[in-house]
Amino acid sequence: MTDNQTQAALLARVAEGDKQALAALYKALEKPVFRFIRSRLNDSFEASDILHDVFMEVWRSAGRFEGRSKVQTWIFGIAYRKVIDAHRKRGRTDLVGETPDSVDDGPNAETCLASSQEAEHVRHCLETLKDDHRAAIAMAFYDDMTYGEIAEVAGVPEGTIKTRVFHAKKLLMRCLSGLVERRVPA
Amino acid sequence: MTQNIEELLPFYANGTLDEPERAEVEAALAEDGDLRAELEVLLALREAMQADAVQSPGEFGLARLMRDVEGTEQEVTPMASPENVVPLRRLRVWQIAAALVLAAGLAQTVFVMTAPDQPGFELASGGGATQGEAAFVVGFAPGTSEAEMRDLLLTAGVEIISGPSALGLYELAIFDDAMAESAAEILRAAEGGIIDTFEAMATD
Repeated sequence: MTDNQTQAALLARVAEGDKQALAALYKALEKPVFRFIRSRLNDSFEASDILHDVFMEVWRSAGRFEGRSKVQTWIFGIAYRKVIDAHRKRGRTDLVGETPDSVDDGPNAETCLASSQEAEHVRHCLETLKDDHRAAIAMAFYDDMTYGEIAEVAGVPEGTIKTRVFHAKKLLMRCLSGLVERRVPA
Repeated sequence: MTQNIEELLPFYANGTLDEPERAEVEAALAEDGDLRAELEVLLALREAMQADAVQSPGEFGLARLMRDVEGTEQEVTPMASPENVVPLRRLRVWQIAAALVLAAGLAQTVFVMTAPDQPGFELASGGGATQGEAAFVVGFAPGTSEAEMRDLLLTAGVEIISGPSALGLYELAIFDDAMAESAAEILRAAEGGIIDTFEAMATD
């Protein structure tokens, strides 16, 4: 039985009111869902609250799941919308939105990434991305999701996701290059 | 290197491309040193991101969840009002019936409202929304009754053309050309009320 089949079976039990199934599903998916949320908020306390809200919604609406997507994709979709709601509530505006006309992602960017392997640097640069770019690359690289799955989570066409990840990568490279050039600690 | 290959490269790096796309990328990699260098960067980036250990709520979060689900009612249907709860095994039939009633009563004409010039989004037809094509995607707030939905949809001049999706989202098309300008405003005004998710079908 694949992970998704196991999770789908758990979700079916959750829909019938089985709390132990909810606990098992939580244990299976808590870390990736939390990391996804935190990558978009950079606030562990708020991310914890949203994680809680996500699984409360899983509990309430498990009966909606129709098996057309993977369970993880469905739950990431809930988390995706919860974070958007959180941004709206605090009136947050996106940070960097523009795609650079030209980006230095040649040998220097490669060097900078090699020299800044620490996840801390990457996390710092992720924070400079606008939310939809950050979410797309987080799902691609934290969770190894396909562009189709990411598109489903975000509710946009697949081509949009490819473009977002493409631009997110360019912006990350620029940020990481800048960190090394300025010797700025993350 | 083309942008198409560059756009596929991150998904080559995370190992999720299907066979034809993987072969396409590998053929390009064999001929392009810059592309190989970029792949190395992406692999290093992915490795760095995955090495970022998270301190999740763990058992504390689970205990909080178990405490709070106690006594929390589960929804039987995304559309049922509290006084009109539908048994789970009837859910799909009920939803289909409701959608058919709405579609039969409302289906009409043509609507074009998307923004085809915006980059990153293109309809399969290559143009804007036409009859039967989705102009909006919405999610209704839990507890919204079918009557409330119908009132809003009629007011906005839109009809459900598909849904609910796995996320509980519905695709809407405009059936009344005269409402093309105001439909989005009407739906958006309901956001935070009976609509908890709203998106016009034009992105990026």
